[in-house]
Amino acid sequence: MKRSSFTVTLFLSLMALAVIALVSQEPNTSAKPAAQAAQQSSPTRTGEQVFNDNCVRCHTPPSVMGQRITGTIVMHMRTRARLSRKDQELLLKYLAP
Amino acid sequence: MQWRYCKPDRWLTVVALGIALAFGCRANAQDTPATQPFETHAGYIPTISGGAAYIHNVNGGVTTLSPQINPVLLVPFGSHVLLESRTDFTGFFQRENQTSGPFKGKVFKTVDYAQVDWLANTHVIFSAGKYLLPFGLYNERLVPVWIRNLQDSPITAAIGTRNSGAGDGFMLRGVAVQRSAYSIQYSSYFSARSDINQLEAARTAGGDTSIFLTRLRLEAGVSYQRFLQERNINSVATYVSWQPRTTPLDLKAEGDFSYNGRGYWIEGAYRLQKQPIPEFARRIQLVARMQQFFPLHGGGNSLPRVDTHKVDFGFNYYIRDDIRFVSSYGRSFSSQGNANVWNIGATYRFLFPLWPARKK
Repeated sequence: MKRSSFTVTLFLSLMALAVIALVSQEPNTSAKPAAQAAQQSSPTRTGEQVFNDNCVRCHTPPSVMGQRITGTIVMHMRTRARLSRKDQELLLKYLAP
Repeated sequence: MQWRYCKPDRWLTVVALGIALAFGCRANAQDTPATQPFETHAGYIPTISGGAAYIHNVNGGVTTLSPQINPVLLVPFGSHVLLESRTDFTGFFQRENQTSGPFKGKVFKTVDYAQVDWLANTHVIFSAGKYLLPFGLYNERLVPVWIRNLQDSPITAAIGTRNSGAGDGFMLRGVAVQRSAYSIQYSSYFSARSDINQLEAARTAGGDTSIFLTRLRLEAGVSYQRFLQERNINSVATYVSWQPRTTPLDLKAEGDFSYNGRGYWIEGAYRLQKQPIPEFARRIQLVARMQQFFPLHGGGNSLPRVDTHKVDFGFNYYIRDDIRFVSSYGRSFSSQGNANVWNIGATYRFLFPLWPARKK
């Protein structure tokens, strides 16, 4: 396969995936909870948002995590996922309030 | 000649230190304390994390039984210094004559990484020791058996991860810029050559940077590596990762380019958790991946030597958040022969403190 056709195939595949994902999204109706809408437009993030934006993107969250190990795990994930210090603090507040 | 090879290393080292100093100075000015007092009951005690799996693999008619366990040891020293290490114990058992006879094999033990991290501030995390090379999406994020959606690695996973997927030396990483709408992360590293048992690494330098669009939950990044042994080789990866907020969809794609070849993979995983179906069926995850690889200069270095195309379909079932049943079927196409690849097994994620709680 020539380089040009390879590039075209790659581009078309990515576009197709993007279209599939867009189509599969639920319609953005006005039934969306006001709290959720406010949360998404809010400039200040919450620990739950940081958790959903970073941790859940790669793996399923543990249903139970003891507070005694939360600090250690969040340090580990801050290194692995390149999180900011502020995100680390928000996560700690959310996971071990 | 020796001087010519050393020059880029010195340049890269100076750049890396410059970045660290710049971010460090900036961090002193910008790392303001939180507006609210920072209170938490989070504890910092040594912890064991990791995954275990049993995978039954059939590749082109040859069966491989592969039990494995990958414990991750985490030892914090305060809230800014962390010692972390992952060791991989993987059994590899095949029939004596490939398709007949009793199963024979051995367990391979590998220290994947053993590093000390200093979480200096938002912009700088300094790591020293043996660390995973930050190249593309796969090596750092998707290798753990309990995370990956398909048990077979992409063909191009061998690009940018010679020789062991890890480097010996130092690495700087962190958040370069963070805004409410996006954040930009970076990693840069230099690795020395090592032939020491369990510390094998190649002489390399490189880095990775990505931008994460918070509202879209879309990340796009690029990795670069210069291999500084024998032949100096540049490797580049570009990748996209997208998890829409409203749909339990996970889309990842990566393109890799190197002296030995170029290729790409695209993977999509969809969980049925929001579908109007019975509760037990919502635990299903459907996965599909396609990939192509085209060798250059004869390929090699753990890469195919002929054009190879592969498609995979996976079916995973989450029994609990930490236990899942995994299965997949793939077919690879190449001039050396087409082959069916089957995987079936289970994965388990564990997480527990290293010593018990005090009695009250």
